Amino acid sequence: MPIFLQTTREDQLIAWLTALAITIHIAESALPSPLPGIKPGLANVITVAVLLRYGWRMAAWVSLLRVLVGSLLLGTFLSPTFILSLAGAVCSLVTLGAAYAISNRLPGRGLGALGYSVLAAMAHMAGQFWSAYLLFIPHPGLLHLLPVLMTAAVMFGLVSGMIANTMLMRMPGDGRNLPP
Amino acid sequence: MTTRITGADAVVIALALILLPYLYLTYWGGAATQGEQARILRGGQQIALVSLHEHRHLSIAGVLGPSLLEIKDGKIRFIDSPCRNKQCVHSGWVSLGGEFAACLPNRISVQVVGREPRFDSINF
Repeated sequence: MPIFLQTTREDQLIAWLTALAITIHIAESALPSPLPGIKPGLANVITVAVLLRYGWRMAAWVSLLRVLVGSLLLGTFLSPTFILSLAGAVCSLVTLGAAYAISNRLPGRGLGALGYSVLAAMAHMAGQFWSAYLLFIPHPGLLHLLPVLMTAAVMFGLVSGMIANTMLMRMPGDGRNLPP
Repeated sequence: MTTRITGADAVVIALALILLPYLYLTYWGGAATQGEQARILRGGQQIALVSLHEHRHLSIAGVLGPSLLEIKDGKIRFIDSPCRNKQCVHSGWVSLGGEFAACLPNRISVQVVGREPRFDSINF
């Protein structure tokens, strides 16, 4: 018996954006890294752009699906890499959710892509670092890496923020509505 | 090409840039202070805490046999250990807080304990 799934336009949009994020995620995993734990995190661009354009719920879908499918394609599902990646994504989403709620109550325009991106990158790094520390390497020596890792997070957060800004400016539509 | 930046963005970025020096001070500052004492561990468990301010030789029984340690002028080192590669002896004198020398085959390690972190205007 054929199974038919009724998908909404929102589902399809999530699938499209997630596919984009997964592509970036996988392309990036081929780049060499100067230090374990440091990578540009360009898939963050998609999460931030989706957050600003479609809200937190969509951003959470895109981000978590990206971590899940990305790990399945790279063969790291349920490995330490996956656990760290998931911890980072969850921490980043919680922070973005709080920032989004506060920002929408602020007068004026609130946070833009740059602010969200820096927050997300730092939260991602913090979540990943503490889960690595608690689960895998509970050695005080690891703490000496934290300043360096956070510096990288802020830098890459700024870069992703600028990219997300440019991307949002070039996207069609007025911002809040789903494209037809 | 211009990058759109809002007031809230500027606040977030400023806070991030303040946090970074704070992290460096917290996790890097004070790491290189002269140690006062050394912790001697056997298999991860502390068996002695010795002062680095007296000149003495110690013999610590390990899994393979006794490891010989020397303390002098605020420093400590392995003189001999019943292991094959003598990594512990080659690591030489250790004296700074947090520094470590270990003879893994014999399960004996030495960790220099630094002074209590000083209080300053950053942490209160």
